[in-house]
Amino acid sequence: MLLAENTARARALAGGTDLVVDLKHAPGDVDLLVDVSQLPEFGGIGETEEGLRIGSMVTFSELMASPIVNQMTPEIVAASHTVGAVQTRNLGTIGGNLVTCVPSADSAPSLLALDAIVTIAGSDGKRSVPLEKFFVGPRKTILEPHELLVEILIPKKNLGKPSHFIKFGLRKGQALALVNVAAALYLNDDGTVAEPRIALGAVAPTPMFARKAEASLDGKKPDEENLLEAARVAVSEIKPIDDFRASANYRRHLVQTLTYRALKRSTEIASEH
Amino acid sequence: MIVKLKVNGEIRSADVSPETTLLKLLREHLNLTGAKLGCDVGDCGTCTVIVDGKSVNSCLMLAGRASGREVTTIEGLASSEQLHPLQETFEELGALQCGFCGPGMIISAKALLDKNPEPTVFEVRDALSGNLCRCTGYTKIIEAVLDAGRIMSTAEAKS
Repeated sequence: MLLAENTARARALAGGTDLVVDLKHAPGDVDLLVDVSQLPEFGGIGETEEGLRIGSMVTFSELMASPIVNQMTPEIVAASHTVGAVQTRNLGTIGGNLVTCVPSADSAPSLLALDAIVTIAGSDGKRSVPLEKFFVGPRKTILEPHELLVEILIPKKNLGKPSHFIKFGLRKGQALALVNVAAALYLNDDGTVAEPRIALGAVAPTPMFARKAEASLDGKKPDEENLLEAARVAVSEIKPIDDFRASANYRRHLVQTLTYRALKRSTEIASEH
Repeated sequence: MIVKLKVNGEIRSADVSPETTLLKLLREHLNLTGAKLGCDVGDCGTCTVIVDGKSVNSCLMLAGRASGREVTTIEGLASSEQLHPLQETFEELGALQCGFCGPGMIISAKALLDKNPEPTVFEVRDALSGNLCRCTGYTKIIEAVLDAGRIMSTAEAKS
């Protein structure tokens, strides 16, 4: 209610690793902070009939320490480990990372690859949307001013889906991703690929799926040629920028190489099952 | 707003404005200047303190959120008779050069060793990845953490 009545200059405070920095850079932009980090319905991790539920205010450290997340969605743990450093992971939340909505958000690709669904609550009730539809542009989501991100759901059919996440930064710690890639796929009994997903970060205004690349691999044998082709198609779908961290061309090169590696590793995991 | 919290075992309170960070509360209201103000945006780690057993950047945590919680700063490690093993090994090995990163380094190392007294080199490097040393003395810092871990686990085995 507080947020709905004071929409212009009110913000919900989660872990604070982004918002507290914003407050210092632009004091006066916000005159009401509502701390939502301790609300019980926004916390906790658990298995439900629909899948794995992750409260939006769960920190990256909590995700990494969760036995159920390690067992069912290990790539979410791997992605969490690449966020900032220990101190920021102890504060920063998965929901906060998604709501801040930078193109390089480390939590996004591994969640997208498992077709995560987010639940949003507002003064007019709750709604659920696929994570892909949550992102609108850099630092812009579909959240209305009166709405909050409550939880993230990994659908039951994707728990344990073979998946691999790769972050490419310039250092191992405290680095923004030049490119993030997550792949996930199943193998049919005949060895062909089913339900491939390729999610990319830091190469478009929002985290994205490489849908054409997925289609190029669907139903095919995951041999070198087909994996390389999917990686090449993924490059045609991205819109990378030149900045001081890397050129657009270098990002294209990374997407091709890392998409291939993420698909290859997912295939290996799938054949071990 | 009044913030009441436990700092290094003592109940303390202060009247602060809502946008005050935990770091500012510690340094300017409680006169605990061990945690340093470095980058002030969560990159350098020299403001690191332990809150309820977890290391955090005190420059990113609002003081209000620390209310009712237990905070350990570098001032809480030594007693008047005895340095903490990390402080001893940092001194012995010359792991501090200018010393500005020291409080954060030692607090991050303590958070690690409290949970994992015999870490691997990789685990130490990972645990300290949020603490920057611009003298670039990382080699000795990592050795000092490993040594302190050995001292702490030996002491625990004896007791």
